[in-house]
Amino acid sequence: MGIKVTVNHNRCVGSRLCVGFLPDAFKLNGQGQSELITTGGVNAEEFVQTAGQCPQSAIKVEDAETGEVLFPPAELEM
Amino acid sequence: MEALILKDDLMAPEVVADPHTYYRKLRESERVHWNERWKGWVLTGYKEVVDVLRDPDHFSSDRMGYLENELTPQEREEIAPIFKVLKYWMVFRDPPSHTVLRMLLNKLFTPTAVERYRPMVRKIVQKALDKVVDRGKMEVVHDLAYDIPMSVVLELIGAPDLDREKIKEWSEAIGVFFFIKADEPRRREIACEGITSLVNYIEPLIVHRREHPGTDMISLLIAAEEAGQITYNDVLGTCVLLIFGGHETTMNLIANGTLALMQDSDQWTLLHKKPELIKKAVEELLRFDGSVKSTVRWAKEDVMVGDKLIKKGERLLVSLSGANRDPLQFTAPDKLDITRDPNLHVAFAHGIHVCLGASLARMEAEEAFAGMIKRISCPRLPEDAYLNYYPSVVHRALKNLPVTFHKL
Ligand code: HEM
Ligand code: SF4
Repeated sequence: MGIKVTVNHNRCVGSRLCVGFLPDAFKLNGQGQSELITTGGVNAEEFVQTAGQCPQSAIKVEDAETGEVLFPPAELEM
Repeated sequence: MEALILKDDLMAPEVVADPHTYYRKLRESERVHWNERWKGWVLTGYKEVVDVLRDPDHFSSDRMGYLENELTPQEREEIAPIFKVLKYWMVFRDPPSHTVLRMLLNKLFTPTAVERYRPMVRKIVQKALDKVVDRGKMEVVHDLAYDIPMSVVLELIGAPDLDREKIKEWSEAIGVFFFIKADEPRRREIACEGITSLVNYIEPLIVHRREHPGTDMISLLIAAEEAGQITYNDVLGTCVLLIFGGHETTMNLIANGTLALMQDSDQWTLLHKKPELIKKAVEELLRFDGSVKSTVRWAKEDVMVGDKLIKKGERLLVSLSGANRDPLQFTAPDKLDITRDPNLHVAFAHGIHVCLGASLARMEAEEAFAGMIKRISCPRLPEDAYLNYYPSVVHRALKNLPVTFHKL
């Protein structure tokens, strides 16, 4: 399954947790916030796990074809 | 007020009563200001605060290390019991040792993980409100706010039966060490007694968990210790940190938030009509009058912050409340607006030390406000009441909040 991952910079506080858990997928930008490097080599389940560790629920994981949101669940939307 | 800024007295009664006005004036005159009395920099602008908090490579959190350097050998001896524990608190550690502990514990505190405590919190709130709704009055801190975070933290570490009164007493004693007036002559002694009592109280619990592991936090820490990822000192220090840090801040947020909503009753009414705004409302209450006003960092090398050169070893008071009211980041910052979005406040800090308990505190506050909004009218201060805050640079803490209301 192709996935789409986005980091919401209105929510990211730069905890670096996603970078720690998936260093090949995330890096910090010049503002100290997280940015996606690539979705390659990491499966959807790992992205969902890591998105779940984000204290701000700033990472959104979607099915690239259907647009189905795999994370965060609706009740975590602020 | 100008005179106050010049005196650099962060503990002046006017500043404790109304830190927001003081920090606004300071921000307007100098966003990065050398405070001669405290001998450090005070940051009140959002951008500067966020830049520092998100940059652990240049700014250290090693409070105990820097403090140790300032003390004489005899003073060090005197506070050895404090050092032995606080040195291992993750909040005072830099990478890489901070990273190990944080990544280990984080999974117990995620937005999803904390949901399992929501039913328990809801019950505590209902029970507390049951007791007061017919009376038409309560004291928010003790009748409502106190019990919620303490119960959750004890459940979380897997020790719901610990003696809350004792824990509160010892936590307050430890708090004296850094938060309360530096001119309390016995402050170090008091804090040592507090920490020693708390440690003696917790250690048997760790011994017990080692023999009978469960799914609680202490068992998780012990497993990591046995796998060689962390040390026994990390296990003990973390237990003390969570017990200490997990209740007062949340209790204070509930009190500060209630007061903020009371003082802007249109916002109370709006939340009553649209309870689905609760998550946004809690974010706004955190921004508007959060319970932690500031934190401290030390420059690891010469570095620019805003237009000022900070020298290696100098300390910075990072004003979270100052940043949260910066008009360059928030429109109409002094107005409570529970629909504010986006609202990237710094009430839990930013960066690697962003509050571990943030999701827990948010959930607890949601339940407390949602419970009140449903069952009582917008509270009022009794006529003879006056608001009294603990004298602290760090905590925004009401001594009590007596209110009257009617049952809905
Ligand atoms: C409204 C309530 C709370 C507020 C305003 C608050 C605020 C903060 C702030 C500002 C920091 C960062 C300190 C720094 O960077 O120097 C922090 C860190 C921390 N908080 Fe909270 N806190 C709250 C509730 C809690 C709760 C409920 C817990 C635990 C159950 C908790 C545990 C911690 C821990 C362990 C850290 C250190 C995290 C790290 O170093 O990675 N806090 N908190
Ligand atoms: S875990 Fe969340 S808050 Fe932390 S850096 Fe990643 S996206 Fe930002």
